[in-house]
Amino acid sequence: MAKIENGTVEEVRRIVYEFFSEECEVSIDELKDDTNVIKDLEGDSLMFLELLEIFKKKYGLNVELKTVGKYVVKHPAETIGAIIGMTMLIIEHENRIAELE
Amino acid sequence: MGRKVVITGMNIISSLGLNLEENWNNLAAGKSGVAPISLFDASNCETKIAAQVPAGFEAYASTFCKKRTAHQMTRVTAMAFVCASEAIELSGIDFNAVDRRRTAVIMGVVSTGNSSVEKGAASRNRIIKSMSNAIPAWISLHYGIEGPSYSVNTACASSAYAMGLGYDMIRSGSADIVVTGGADSTINPEEINSFNEMYALSTRNDAPRKASRPFSRDRDGFVIGEGAGIMILESEESASKRNAPVIAEFAGYAVTSEAYNIMAPKKDGEGMYETMKLALANTGVDPSEVDYINAHGTSTMLNDLYETMAIKRLFGDRAYAIPVTSSKSMMGHTIAAAGAIEAAITALSIRYQMVTPTINYDDPDPDLDLDYVPNNSRAHKINVAISNSFAFGGHNATIVLKKY
Repeated sequence: MAKIENGTVEEVRRIVYEFFSEECEVSIDELKDDTNVIKDLEGDSLMFLELLEIFKKKYGLNVELKTVGKYVVKHPAETIGAIIGMTMLIIEHENRIAELE
Repeated sequence: MGRKVVITGMNIISSLGLNLEENWNNLAAGKSGVAPISLFDASNCETKIAAQVPAGFEAYASTFCKKRTAHQMTRVTAMAFVCASEAIELSGIDFNAVDRRRTAVIMGVVSTGNSSVEKGAASRNRIIKSMSNAIPAWISLHYGIEGPSYSVNTACASSAYAMGLGYDMIRSGSADIVVTGGADSTINPEEINSFNEMYALSTRNDAPRKASRPFSRDRDGFVIGEGAGIMILESEESASKRNAPVIAEFAGYAVTSEAYNIMAPKKDGEGMYETMKLALANTGVDPSEVDYINAHGTSTMLNDLYETMAIKRLFGDRAYAIPVTSSKSMMGHTIAAAGAIEAAITALSIRYQMVTPTINYDDPDPDLDLDYVPNNSRAHKINVAISNSFAFGGHNATIVLKKY
């Protein structure tokens, strides 16, 4: 279990917001935690995989896509806020995220 | 008796331009789109020339889709997408006002061109960029088209086959509208070198604009082109219901297999003759009614000889009175896109009652003595026209178009 450093939540939030702003060509000011990635931004499912890769590299995470996938099936993350929340869980629990209810 | 099929929209992207009007104007003016290759360093290739889509394409394409989507497309997929977007706009179709489940997308695709020339090919989106169904997928996704959506590969006849399948769907009543055509680019070192191994390409590097010379005695192979051609086929009832402008009637077609050789056409143009004959029979058109032939006309020794022999056999003495032109003399061979691009040119020829020339025809081959419309376009009365596509592997197609 990784230790969450001070400022990590803010850093994750900034990266996620910047990512969707850049990829969806939307001003960062227009994004909110309840913005739906598919319906509001015309995003796609690959975006989450790309974000996962970004965070794996940034924090040196030991996490496999299949374990994240098991969690996502039970807890879909459709909004920016939900994606930030799930990212924090992945950073905290890494591969053990699949064991969470 | 099936339903009548009409063309209500179309578009071309090629070395001669990024839209239909630009292409037609350059074709009518007899311009060549062939130049030294700039997409990659071709100094080590035997052939160093090609008919490339103008350099402004990427900037132009960026106005049609979001940056993220563009990064998930190859240059070929983007050509098809942009070409389809403008063809659909020309047709005036409002997809909120038609039954999307009765609309199909059928594309002729050999590959999406995810070659070494493609920027970033080795990194992101490799599968999405490479999958050969990407072109119909992006079009159906963007417009919410919910009927059948797929690609067909028969090499240089791919988009001709695609149009034929679209025609069948409308005629049989299983679709009202079909977005069809194809796109291709083989301008990359791997494929240039492979075509050179087969002695298929012109090596007239010192005179690029003179290199594609169909039916001339000194022809030395085809010139690779790239681009996209899109046709919007529609039932006459559907077009009439929404008061759509009709460009021409898609009257019928035939596809055959030569079952002869993986590369060479069947001796004396036997397969080509059978394909043209069957297309006319399928359409109920007598050979005496044909006013214009847009030839496959590759500028290779065998194709041009055999296509000429096949035309003479089918049309008899009248063959000498029918203009036979090769659009490839100006825009090179666009492989999977060629059938649709040349069918679109044929439709424009009917619309404007004018045939575009076979350029570089300045050294006639004594064995090839038809009216190839040398070097200058010409006004010509056209009620019925055919467009030929003859592919490696023996996949043949002939499309029959009529004035509407």
